[in-house]
Amino acid sequence: MGRRRFLRHALLAGGTAALGPALLAACRSGGGDRSRRLVISNWPLYIDPTSDGVPGTVDRFRKQTGIEVSYSEDQNDSVAFFAKIQPELSAGRPIAQDLFVTPYWLAARLIRLGWADPLPLEEVANAARLIPTLRKPSWDPSGRFTLPWQSGITGIAYNIEATGRPLTSVDDLFDPRLKGKVGFLTEMRDTMGMLMLADGKDITQPTFAAAEPSFARLERAKKDGQIRAFTGNDYQDDLLAGNFAACVAWSGDVAQLALEQPKLRFLVPATGTTLWADVMVMPKGAPHRREAAEWMNFVYDPVHAARIAAAVKYISPVQGVQEVLARTSDTAALARNPLMFPDRAMEARLKVFGPLAPAEEAQFDERFASITEG
Amino acid sequence: MSASRRSLRAEPRTARTRRQDWLPWLLVAPGLTWLVLWFVLPLAQLLPVSLSDTADRFRMTLVFSGRIANYTEVIGQYTPVLARSLVYAGAATALAVLIAYPLAWVIRFRGGRWKAVLLALVVVPFFTPYLVRAIAWTTLLGDDGPLLSALRAVGLPQGTRLLNTAFAVVGGLTYNALPFMVLPITLSLERIPTELLDAARDLQGGPWTVFRRVVLPLSAPGLAAGIVLSLIPAAGDVVNPQFLGGPNNRMIGNVMQSLMLVQRQLPRGAALALVLMALMTATVVVHVRRHGSSDLTLT
Repeated sequence: MGRRRFLRHALLAGGTAALGPALLAACRSGGGDRSRRLVISNWPLYIDPTSDGVPGTVDRFRKQTGIEVSYSEDQNDSVAFFAKIQPELSAGRPIAQDLFVTPYWLAARLIRLGWADPLPLEEVANAARLIPTLRKPSWDPSGRFTLPWQSGITGIAYNIEATGRPLTSVDDLFDPRLKGKVGFLTEMRDTMGMLMLADGKDITQPTFAAAEPSFARLERAKKDGQIRAFTGNDYQDDLLAGNFAACVAWSGDVAQLALEQPKLRFLVPATGTTLWADVMVMPKGAPHRREAAEWMNFVYDPVHAARIAAAVKYISPVQGVQEVLARTSDTAALARNPLMFPDRAMEARLKVFGPLAPAEEAQFDERFASITEG
Repeated sequence: MSASRRSLRAEPRTARTRRQDWLPWLLVAPGLTWLVLWFVLPLAQLLPVSLSDTADRFRMTLVFSGRIANYTEVIGQYTPVLARSLVYAGAATALAVLIAYPLAWVIRFRGGRWKAVLLALVVVPFFTPYLVRAIAWTTLLGDDGPLLSALRAVGLPQGTRLLNTAFAVVGGLTYNALPFMVLPITLSLERIPTELLDAARDLQGGPWTVFRRVVLPLSAPGLAAGIVLSLIPAAGDVVNPQFLGGPNNRMIGNVMQSLMLVQRQLPRGAALALVLMALMTATVVVHVRRHGSSDLTLT
């Protein structure tokens, strides 16, 4: 399991239990504590855990630096998280976290609102290892506010036994033979990005007018019962349970799921699809800047970054990870995986959904919600 | 009672009687404070919000402008979802009555010494959190899940599905409504003296007549309370349509959640919340008018 687990996992997996340390930390650091502490919030199962006596990245970092890290896997739904932090940040008060991992588009919003602090990049020597395609990205044109945690590819996951044939294009999601067995993502940019590209539209500079035919297509499919559900990360359960024959999905999840379900396939449509990134952001007023810099430097070391990449199977933003993985026999296959290390042909299909002006973003959100929630 | 009244009239107001004056207020104070803080104040805030414009949806800056259009827009756009919510909630309540009434009857008249155990059994599943129960249903109702696999083995056509359908949503709502239906009905059946039933039978009433003319009218208060307790939470439910329904089975709670959290159109979300509240209040008022308010308090 990987990137985004929504409400159900939050509550089932004890979201409150995970929140505990962060809350405690918030209480303790309230009085301007300058001790070596760091509060990080990330998505569940998005890092290599300590298991079988092998220390995970968080524990290795603790041991090497002596910093008291509170690492919570309490990111479960980015819009809900935004709603939670908005009252504090808009009032100019710091929040509990020094660093959190959030989708690129939400990071862009936080930067625009002035709610993100510039990262202490001068203290992060390894930031120079950031892969060139992710430098000064459209969501953070100055490159000063975000460092990618992982990036990934939105594609089509399908169970070849259920579809009865290999899928070859986005149009296959609208095949009447798959009626009621198709899932799309509630993540608007991923669903719409793929559909707009299939309609031949440019998503690096998206406009509402250009998106309308794709919205109309999605709406029709929903009304006709072609679409069974719009999901967050829970599409994984539906795929494994046989409820979905095919669905829009994220690359790393499928790479992990395929170990459980060998009938699973992943298609990166030739018409193109979205390349997304979850990025590290420091909220305004975060007190532990130096410790955060040490953390970012640590996870951008290719050796540590390779451990994370091997566990989560997404695209590592760090140069040199491929070489590290290729050196060891049990990870060598990962180094050849084009979903983790896109080759030229793959890269040509990947596009980042461009920034939306505030008024246009509201139109996109409203239209999309009228389909998913109407 | 009469003695104390006499003493009140006879004596001037002493410290003791003054204490008796404010004692009731002291007793209702916790409840009243709670209601004012968490119900009246938020509700009072909701009204101006529902009449505002969103200046900045991310900073949540609202400008009060008396914008009635928030109401007309949400009513125009979401009437089908509102209607669907009421239909689902109504269907779930009706199903809950059909399941709960016979069950309550058996517990009351055939339960014997097992009565307490049977009542406990009705409640025990509800020790599991609400959300977990809904998610458990997704496993039970899945396309390759135990229920459909079993039904397919006895000839249900391939391709039939339960999960992500209206059926599953209404089923989940019904399940949640059950204890709120069984308990008040059992309670009101409990109050019917068995002698009354004997008398009805002695007067040549057949089973159906006894039920229709004696049992049903006397249990009406419990039934009415059960209906209100089931209908109101069901109409505003979010979890069942989200996990058990598909995109064509969304209910009004999902729309409100989306308006508030995703679209961040707080004024429209507030307007919709107040519209739903008005609808539910109207429903309950009609219900109370018809059956009398004593039905709701089981007196």
